[in-house]
Amino acid sequence: MLSLRHIGLVLNGKPLVRPFSLDVAPGEVVTLMGASGSGKSSLLAFIAGDLPPAMTGQGDVVLNRTRLNPLPPERRGLGRLFQDDYLFPHMTVGENLLFAVADLPRAERLQRMEQALTDCGLEGFAPRPPHSLSGGQRSRVALMRALLAEPAAILLDEPFSKLDRPLRASMRSFTFEHIRNRGIPALLVSHDPEDVPPGGRVLEILEDGSLKNA
Amino acid sequence: MTATRLVAVLPLTLLFLLPLVAALVLVLPGLLDATAFASMIAHPQFAGALWLTVFTGLLGTGLAVLTSLAIVHAAGSRDLSRGSGLFLAVPHLSLAIGLAFLIMPTGVIARLLAPLLGWTSPPQWVTTQDPWGFTLIAALVLKETPFLVWAFAALLNRDDMRRALDGQVAVARSLGHGPMSIFLRVILPQLLPRMAGPLIAVLAYSLTVVDMAVVVGPGQPPTLAQLAWTDLNDGDAATAARGGAGVLILSGLVLLLIFLVGAALPLLAPLRHRLLASPPRQDAKLFRLLIILWPAWFCIYGAVMLVMALQSIAAQWPFPDLLPQHATAAAWLRLVQDSGPFLTTFVLALATAMSSVAAAVAWLEWAPRRADRIAALVAVFALCLPSLLVGLGQYRLFLALGITGTAPALFLAHVLPVAAYVFLVLAGPYRSFDPRWNAVAAGLTAQPLRFLLRIKWPMLKAPILAAAATGFAVSVAQFVPAQLAAAGRFSTLPMEAVTLSAGGNRPLIATHGLGLMLLPLVAFLLAGWFGQPRWRMR
Repeated sequence: MLSLRHIGLVLNGKPLVRPFSLDVAPGEVVTLMGASGSGKSSLLAFIAGDLPPAMTGQGDVVLNRTRLNPLPPERRGLGRLFQDDYLFPHMTVGENLLFAVADLPRAERLQRMEQALTDCGLEGFAPRPPHSLSGGQRSRVALMRALLAEPAAILLDEPFSKLDRPLRASMRSFTFEHIRNRGIPALLVSHDPEDVPPGGRVLEILEDGSLKNA
Repeated sequence: MTATRLVAVLPLTLLFLLPLVAALVLVLPGLLDATAFASMIAHPQFAGALWLTVFTGLLGTGLAVLTSLAIVHAAGSRDLSRGSGLFLAVPHLSLAIGLAFLIMPTGVIARLLAPLLGWTSPPQWVTTQDPWGFTLIAALVLKETPFLVWAFAALLNRDDMRRALDGQVAVARSLGHGPMSIFLRVILPQLLPRMAGPLIAVLAYSLTVVDMAVVVGPGQPPTLAQLAWTDLNDGDAATAARGGAGVLILSGLVLLLIFLVGAALPLLAPLRHRLLASPPRQDAKLFRLLIILWPAWFCIYGAVMLVMALQSIAAQWPFPDLLPQHATAAAWLRLVQDSGPFLTTFVLALATAMSSVAAAVAWLEWAPRRADRIAALVAVFALCLPSLLVGLGQYRLFLALGITGTAPALFLAHVLPVAAYVFLVLAGPYRSFDPRWNAVAAGLTAQPLRFLLRIKWPMLKAPILAAAATGFAVSVAQFVPAQLAAAGRFSTLPMEAVTLSAGGNRPLIATHGLGLMLLPLVAFLLAGWFGQPRWRMR
């Protein structure tokens, strides 16, 4: 369970997002909608622990009964996906995935990496450089990489917005299916109503910074 | 070729390209002088000098790379370019002189330790000119680290680089990697290939430096650069030829080492894979201590300046006293009275900086864009060349032209590295000037020249002034080619400082060290002041 308790954002002394509370259940995808500049991406950055210094966040982020606020980003157990896939350009696809696999015996790590490639239909792609992949393939590798780190929750920052239209639908269902299978809570930020998974809860950030159930 | 093209290309070609090519061609016949090579190799100090050169050059470069990386890592997302620019203004020679005053047996560090350890006479340590060259290595690391930090910062400040890395760092942290792990696996492997130029320049410089080695380097044997330098300045033709052979051997050594490092890199591929594919790691707490490194650099440079200032006015300074007994302005007065070298240095720096800026602007404004890359590559190449090699070639060139020991020779000897630096500093900002301003101005029916004078150059005044200040600083610090070209008929501040450093007049050495440092600092301050925008935008 990912619990946000009275969290909000302040920019230059003015409230950008007014304090609100939200519980995201395991396997659930909650969507935060808002215009650009409404602070929805910054909200995810605050939850993840790398808010830019110009902004201040308030409230508590609690994940499975642990308060995350004092922890650095790398110890929060929160996976993240962005508009860009941010595959490391100097690493092969396999190295990109291994970068996320925990410290286990080598054979076990390799096996997990290969399994992840199989799961996203990219068997044999391990030695390839990321730039040789198509946009859709890259997005799938990025999702697999995030999941290989075994996050306890995942934050999605408009991950479909840069994909071509036909690709977008399949990538959406692919992403949501994997998140549901893992049974981890997910928070999705978007301005595209089509991104909302069927039957998913939606919160909207209004112009005055308050939130409304949509 | 049209007239504009000629205006674009000619100045930089005459100031920089032609003299460089001519100088390099003229050192080639030396390769055939077997006698000179044989006598250099038979020199009793040759083997020792060779080993010492490799030792100090590699260790100095290696340590400078490590410390600069630690500083860049510890800074995180803070911008280091402003701070590191300050250090670049300090000439190598000034730093070597100040460092010597700091650590020699009667230096300030020994004086600080004296009351604690009950010393009444100077300690018996051999610090400056120690036989292993450790002081030379320290001086190299102190000077080259900020240069590398500056080069890293310039790379990291590029918009495309910054944006890509910020995103990758956020992802890497969400995957469970600490900042140090991310620096080693994500940031460094993407930076290093783009740092080849600065890294090669530092290695080449460390292997071939003359002025620093004369002041703080070992003497018995000296480094190869110093050995060759002594020979070159000998009146005897055979000895000078032996020195020339030494310069060629040294240049060959630089090439060989660069080649060896380049050849060794593919062997590291398996190691690279293991590094990149290793599991997420969180940082050891100890790494946080690295944050003190960069402030430490400011402290050391501050101490170096302070010690030179004290030494320059010290009339009498018996050993354990922390401060001189009497202050005197005698050394400063002498610098003012014998103002020849100071004025020569100043006028040369002004002339070379201004002509280089004019030549670089002409090139960047009117030369075809594809010529930029070539010019930039040649400039980087020129800056990686040992000053001994260029100096030797230029000396032969000036002899052939019959202008040795004249003002034009001195000017040409100074302007070569100045033009290279000015071009490299100016090219980036000049080329990223938004071309839409041209369209706007043309829409207002402004003539091209009017547009340049009233719009473009005023908008670019900050980078143009910064390039001029850089050129000025580079000119002030020139030693090897200048000394050879001057042939004893002119003297500049660095030449005076090197000559003085062999003697014992410490106040006078200190005034020269400080004078050398103050000229570029004033130039940078003025450039910063006049380069300010008319309004501070909020």
